[in-house]
Amino acid sequence: MSLAGTLGRSAAGRREPAWRAPALWGGIAAFPLVVGLMSLGIGRYPVPIDQVLLALAAGSGFAVDVPGTVERVVLLIRLPRILEGLVIGGGLALAGAALQGVFRNPLVGPQIIGVSSGAAFGGALALLLGLGLAGLMAGAFVFGITALVIVFALSRVDGRSPVLMLVLAGVVTGAFFAALVSLVTFLADPNDTLPAIVYWLMGSFATASWPKVGLVAGVTAVAATVLMAMRFRINILSLGDEDAQALGIAVEPTRWAILVAATALVAGSVAVAGIIGWVGLVVPHIARMLVGPDHRRLLPAAALLGAGYMVLVDNVARTATASEIPLGVLTAIIGAPMFAWLLRRTQAGGWT
Amino acid sequence: MITVEGLSYHLPRDRCAVFRDLSFRVPDGAVFAILGPNGRGKTTLLKTVLGLLRPSAGRVRIDGATGYVPQGTHLPFPYSVLDIVVMGRARGIAAFRSPGKADYAAARRALDRLGFLGFADRPVTELSGGERQMVLIARAIASEAPILVLDEPTSALDFRNQDRVLGAIARIAREDRLTVLFTTHYPQHALHVADTALAMHGPADARAGPVADILSEAELTDLYGLPIRVARLDHAGRPVRTVAPVFGAAEPAGLPLVAP
Amino acid sequence: MSEPLRRRALTAVAASAAIALAGAAGLAPTPAQADPVTIADQNGATVTLDGPAERIATIPIPAASMVVAIDGGTDRLAGMHPLSKTALTEAILGEFFPASVDIPSDVVGQGFMPNVEALLALDPDLVLQWAHRGDDILAPLRNAGFTVAALRYGTEELTRGWIEMLGTATGNADKAAELIAWREQAQAEITGLMADLSAADRPRTVYFLRYLSELRVAGEGTYNDFYIDLAGGTNPAAADGSGWLTVNPEQVLAWDPEVILLNGFEDDLSPADVYANPLFADVTAIRDRRVYKVPLGGYRWDPPNQESPLMWRWLAMLLQPELADWPLRTQIVEAYGWIYGQTPTEAQIDGILRLAMNGDAAYYDRFAGDAGR
Repeated sequence: MSLAGTLGRSAAGRREPAWRAPALWGGIAAFPLVVGLMSLGIGRYPVPIDQVLLALAAGSGFAVDVPGTVERVVLLIRLPRILEGLVIGGGLALAGAALQGVFRNPLVGPQIIGVSSGAAFGGALALLLGLGLAGLMAGAFVFGITALVIVFALSRVDGRSPVLMLVLAGVVTGAFFAALVSLVTFLADPNDTLPAIVYWLMGSFATASWPKVGLVAGVTAVAATVLMAMRFRINILSLGDEDAQALGIAVEPTRWAILVAATALVAGSVAVAGIIGWVGLVVPHIARMLVGPDHRRLLPAAALLGAGYMVLVDNVARTATASEIPLGVLTAIIGAPMFAWLLRRTQAGGWT
Repeated sequence: MITVEGLSYHLPRDRCAVFRDLSFRVPDGAVFAILGPNGRGKTTLLKTVLGLLRPSAGRVRIDGATGYVPQGTHLPFPYSVLDIVVMGRARGIAAFRSPGKADYAAARRALDRLGFLGFADRPVTELSGGERQMVLIARAIASEAPILVLDEPTSALDFRNQDRVLGAIARIAREDRLTVLFTTHYPQHALHVADTALAMHGPADARAGPVADILSEAELTDLYGLPIRVARLDHAGRPVRTVAPVFGAAEPAGLPLVAP
Repeated sequence: MSEPLRRRALTAVAASAAIALAGAAGLAPTPAQADPVTIADQNGATVTLDGPAERIATIPIPAASMVVAIDGGTDRLAGMHPLSKTALTEAILGEFFPASVDIPSDVVGQGFMPNVEALLALDPDLVLQWAHRGDDILAPLRNAGFTVAALRYGTEELTRGWIEMLGTATGNADKAAELIAWREQAQAEITGLMADLSAADRPRTVYFLRYLSELRVAGEGTYNDFYIDLAGGTNPAAADGSGWLTVNPEQVLAWDPEVILLNGFEDDLSPADVYANPLFADVTAIRDRRVYKVPLGGYRWDPPNQESPLMWRWLAMLLQPELADWPLRTQIVEAYGWIYGQTPTEAQIDGILRLAMNGDAAYYDRFAGDAGR
């Protein structure tokens, strides 16, 4: 098509109605808030909603009369668990959106590039050695980064990481660390360590506690701040290394800062809740459908949607049956078909 | 001003140089064209000058920032035209910052100067090749760099779009007193907009000078290994210079494509 | 001493004598003249031995101590699972039979896959393997020409089947019959005691298979569910699912157990962990201090084992302190006498009953030794 022809057409432009953006953002911001509050009223232990509110008031320091058990259920069981879900869901979606931008590929997720497997190995090793929560965190982080470095080194061709090489390097690295995880389970004592590792690997918020929330929230706050601050840089990196460099950006340090922050988010979540797949892959797609590809809008939208999504899924995990449904299983069962549907729907949008 | 002194480039793990001991100077305000047959290293030279590739020898001195228009960019995400153009401002935006009002104003101004402001909200993935080229030029203009570097800005465009792109480059260069460096496969494009040219005849044989001298019939025939005529035509009282290759009259077939 | 107890004591003495005789007979080196022994394994296969098994390799973890119980010693145990070995050597049987340290435990890899070459080196005349974990772990044994008996696990009936089978295979049929009679008698006695209990009188009792890494409880159809019911309790988890259930703390609060049983598998786990957990501060079992770590005798008392009647009595005394009362420490001494031919010291009994961990829990003073009373 000639430029003259398109110039005429573009005058019509695709302007969105003025009310749409504020309404959309209002909805996206309210989503985790509403889901979080609603979830406080759901659980295996029956608590009427007014008692939930009273317990929250008691927790905020008001002198209200509320049964001890109710207070414990709301403040010590549900609240930390829901907060953990919000933080981890937001962090994973944020990490996924950032990784997709940096790797210029919307099919990338923490799982596909092997970071999750690396973190899983680090965590399993820490459990095997009985290193405690801090050790779990450190192990997950160090080996998450290690996996990332390996994928990066393997996928580089002439200074670039082509999509195919990236996926292949991710598969290789993921398989390698999966084998190491198997080795760890092989070495673990079947009486106590092994069940702990197996359970942890499946992913769950059932053991949520305030210390864990504090830990993951701290890591997430730092890493998310870095990513949010660098979201315009992610836009530029998504043009490709050469373009980004020609635009005056120091590509390697910028990319590493983003990758390290994303890995910190994944490792933090793996450390406290095990492997929770698909959230970092699916949620950024939903966010992209709603707010477009610009990472300045995509990152906050993905984080907010991821937070609410995670808590919704966890509600099913903790209340559907008396026994907990493993979270990793649920996210995969929901995530895989949803991702397939999104793929078919958005492929026409042109991010091949 | 761009000064290139004794520049050489080898491909990694390759003993043969792509080009060797290259020296030339692009004065401020010049429009400088780089020509040469396929594989002679035009794009490589451009990237070496920009610092995207590291030369194996020699040095490049550039006074001032560069705005770069690559030879087609793969865009994985359907950013809007304005989002792409504003990225041209990246050099002036700190790592933890996003573009501000002034940056958007510069981006809109760049689009406006190319007559492209109406495209601002369009996803770039939906644009044609010519339109994308204009967006990338707008991005380079938005950087407000004094030096504009373009890699085959007219390749894969039809005549009308070639004219628009060349016209835009020439006009902006004149208005902003920019130094322009570009590669091309079309000698007539160089003749049309450039005042100086570099012809890469061989790895160690690059000739720089005024376009008329560098792109004479004899020089072009030597450059492409094919008889080439430069014709002067008249259009509505205006002289038009055009370059016509004589197809079918090359050196006899059977000779190796690359001299031993 | 009550009438039933006196009878039990007499049978115990008789059984000890029988073991002594059987042991003497077993020493007579006349394998050539032994009659073939035929047993039906729990896969429905008929297993024929040339004579009583002299060298048994056990792959199922609880089987090793079962062999020790039926044979009254470790002489016939040629090889075992590494975890069987730690269960033996790190507990009281290791103190009774120090030689067990030298029994090889390299006969099995991950997932109960036999190490055929290690087994060949041991030259066992009978190999015990799980029946319900697929044929992949059985086929290599058959192919290597071993005589294999397959075992199932989990119910009282199957456990009695083990005892009977192993009794026949080792030429200890009388001992086996004695062990089974002991179980039947204890079960009948406890069932009789609890016969008139109304549902409301049965304390809600939850058994935690895992507590530290996750909350995993025994649901319907588990052996733990069976003995909670037998001993006069009721398992609220049974209404919410069968097998092992991973639950969240809220679910535990919803059940509000009156008694909590902690597994013997998690070494670091003690009732103190549960008492200190703020989530459970209002749970009745915590308020009433009725959290107990399950004892560890010749084998962990949690799963079916040769000492199960002692476990049932222990639990009945805790769940129904008004109805159930036995001199358990004395009974342990008696039982160990005729089962293993050993006499545990007072300190060893304290260890079996985990007095250090459970000592200050409600009703536990009845298990204290003379010094503690």
